Amino acid sequence: MGIIQSIKNKVRQRSIHVCYVNVGSCNGCDIEILACLSPRYDIEQYGIYVHNNPREADILLITGAFCEQWEDKLADLWEMIPEPKAAITIGNCPVSGCTFNRRGSFVNPPVSKHIPVAASIPGCPPRPTEIIETILQLAPLVFKDYEEKK
Amino acid sequence: MLSIFCYIKEFLRPEWWKKFLFVKTPPLVKPDYFRDYPHLTGNECTHELRCMMICPSPGAIEILKNEDGKWAPVIYKGHCIRCGLCVEACPDNVLASGRILEQNETDNTSFLASYYINVNDALCMKCGNCSVACPINKEIDPQLAYNATSSSNNVIMRVKGSKLTIMHPEKCTGCKTCEKTCPNNAITVARVIEGDQDDD
Ligand code: SF4
Ligand code: SF4
Ligand code: SF4
Ligand code: SF4
Repeated sequence: MGIIQSIKNKVRQRSIHVCYVNVGSCNGCDIEILACLSPRYDIEQYGIYVHNNPREADILLITGAFCEQWEDKLADLWEMIPEPKAAITIGNCPVSGCTFNRRGSFVNPPVSKHIPVAASIPGCPPRPTEIIETILQLAPLVFKDYEEKK
Repeated sequence: MLSIFCYIKEFLRPEWWKKFLFVKTPPLVKPDYFRDYPHLTGNECTHELRCMMICPSPGAIEILKNEDGKWAPVIYKGHCIRCGLCVEACPDNVLASGRILEQNETDNTSFLASYYINVNDALCMKCGNCSVACPINKEIDPQLAYNATSSSNNVIMRVKGSKLTIMHPEKCTGCKTCEKTCPNNAITVARVIEGDQDDD
């Protein structure tokens, strides 16, 4: 591994850009993502930055049970994110549909059958610490030696 | 001039550099009182299924036999919402989560479960399927079979005098097997959970 590559790895670990998308959640998980931005948890000190622009993002955070309208839109959004990229689902909803997965509702979980998901954070909703921990653990795995893996 | 000196002095402190370069808030740990996914305490599960009955989230908890052939609850992450009701409902304290058990101990609170069997005589055709399927009946009277007309009077219910008679509703464990086996949906079992607090 070259020196440049190791510098890239170091820098990328401290510069993770996330974009979040709500594909039909109750907002509980979105509030927990917001809590990550608060001074109590302050994700920017870990080098995680939130954008709401998929073209700038490395990691896509997905909340919600996947409503029908997202069928094509989420795939489009996933295409827009430049490589290297990873998707993390937040909450029970993207895994099982949670409270929305009942008769007469139009949800289509799990999200992993629509786009490739690298990690899931279960919980209804998960703690902000669990969200930050997962991002911090996953990002190096995805981004390490990206150019060499290509 | 003095202010520049002060600035330089401020930035030369190693503490400042440490704070500037490294993460400042304490490490990410969950407090020990956090009501996390319930974990096993090691007490033996007696297969009363109260946890499964009270769980509000479909598919979150199941009672399965482990490698030793003993019953034990299994919690599925991604379904469980960490409400902690199963911990409170279990009469044997098989599960634990956060401070729930300690809190129940200090407050003297518990959940009491009771089950009510109701038969709609207009729909019931006295086939006896329910009485034969009931696992409690099977334990009391293994002879109870076809038509449920055995003579045992200790069973929960059986067909007696061309009528499905409930004899010992207090023995019912609320499993709802009878409900599922009835071809006419004539029998229903209501599960009632009461929160209880002892004052003394
Ligand atoms: S997992 Fe729970 S808190 Fe999160 S969006 Fe679904 S229902 Fe809401
Ligand atoms: S904590 Fe709540 S949701 Fe989870 S298994 Fe127990 S009763 Fe079900
Ligand atoms: S609920 Fe279960 S235990 Fe109670 S009567 Fe029906 S089958 Fe028997
Ligand atoms: S299974 Fe249904 S129809 Fe048959 S005896 Fe029981 S309650 Fe009546």
